[in-house]
Amino acid sequence: MFTTAPKAPRVGLPTHFSGYARSDGRAGVRNYLVVFSTVALVNRWAELIAETRPDARMIAGEFMRGLRSPDAARQSQVCESLATHPNVGACLLLCHDASSARHWRAHLASCGRPHAVLALMEQEGMEAAVRAGREALARLDDDRRSIGRQLCPIGTLTLALECGGSDPTSAMIANPAIGRVVDALIDRGGSAIVSETVEFVGAEAPVRARSQSPELADRLVAAIAAAEHRLEDDGERYRGVNPTAENIEAGLTTLIEKSMGAVTKTGSHPFVGLLEFGEKAPSPGLYLMDTPFFSPCSITGMVAAGAQVTLFGMGVFNPSGNPLAPTIKVCGNPITGAHWRDAIDVDLSDLLDKRLDLREAAQRVGDSLIETVAGRVSCAERWREGQFIVPKTLTPL
Amino acid sequence: MTAQERVHVVVDPQDNVTTVLDQSVDLVHLSGGLQVARGVPFGHKVALRAIAQGEPVIKYGVAIGRATCGIASGEHVHVHNCT
Repeated sequence: MFTTAPKAPRVGLPTHFSGYARSDGRAGVRNYLVVFSTVALVNRWAELIAETRPDARMIAGEFMRGLRSPDAARQSQVCESLATHPNVGACLLLCHDASSARHWRAHLASCGRPHAVLALMEQEGMEAAVRAGREALARLDDDRRSIGRQLCPIGTLTLALECGGSDPTSAMIANPAIGRVVDALIDRGGSAIVSETVEFVGAEAPVRARSQSPELADRLVAAIAAAEHRLEDDGERYRGVNPTAENIEAGLTTLIEKSMGAVTKTGSHPFVGLLEFGEKAPSPGLYLMDTPFFSPCSITGMVAAGAQVTLFGMGVFNPSGNPLAPTIKVCGNPITGAHWRDAIDVDLSDLLDKRLDLREAAQRVGDSLIETVAGRVSCAERWREGQFIVPKTLTPL
Repeated sequence: MTAQERVHVVVDPQDNVTTVLDQSVDLVHLSGGLQVARGVPFGHKVALRAIAQGEPVIKYGVAIGRATCGIASGEHVHVHNCT
């Protein structure tokens, strides 16, 4: 009943882009100078160090102690992945205590990326601590400036796929345009990760039909079923009947139609795997990562997995982003396009005034992707949108 | 297109419905020339060809439902004739 592998004319993408080849085989689209606060206790120290360097990127979150086993493992794995993300040019990593610093020094010893690890408890007073941090950051800045761009295969790119502020234009214009770019990138050996498992409720049949194997299909559908179960298993009703009366008024006839509005941003290639939050993909292709639906959280997971750039489809404006990965905002709603001109990278709404051509829309998204990975500053980078949120499943100790 | 035709999007070449994305509910042609019923609201679907009772309604290249009665080309497709 379901078919894949069209037929639609493909988006043109070059075979290579100008990026930063890392020693681990991955490629960065940025060479960020990063200040990483590995525990919330030193977030303020990190701010004081970074405030004299407006170009520095901060990794800071509610990283905490006292997490229980699965949450502690997840937080630790995400932090280790972020410190060596391909877009990190050099990293000043801040800890609270000396033993954490020793752990990080050992962990990063062979990472091949300029870095320095400081512990607040190894300093003697705040003034001295801030001074030491700023001096270390200046040295790291010199180190990362010696790294230049070079041609990298386009297949080294991993896209994080997101949508938010969805409306009929995002389902019909922004998301399908993104899907065609995903198809073109995977044709060239690249990867893409989609997340927010609960958004797939209703789309089980097309996901099953697009799974690489029956075993994977079972795992994907089980993850979607678990997300659906969470909508009601604590006695609260987090959603009404689907599709809702409002959805029906907007023209959505069935739940599968509603779900496909989000799923269409994945294009038409088969799913090749299911990833845990922040887990790196073992091989190229299209993946579903099992995450919560809140965009700053799901983007954190996909960036931790190594995604270098996010394609974000929207109807009404949404200020999601991530400090380590440019986020390309794509919009087909003319009102949003007019009001948020300074915060949207690809405005497709003018296509509504012409005979709408999705291929042209997709090519514009593809062109924006190529310009952005080669260094054009995305709107989300300009406004410094985004943060890091790691989900917790258990009450901390 | 001219101002006398409705803006619409076909997402996938296999689709047998398209989605109108304008408020011009009194126009009787889609861009490209296909005749369309009057009154189909923004964001709603129109049959691109006749769809027989029981036949899948295809959007995004997948079956999003089935026709509960025969649907003529250009007709509004929604909960009254698709489930």
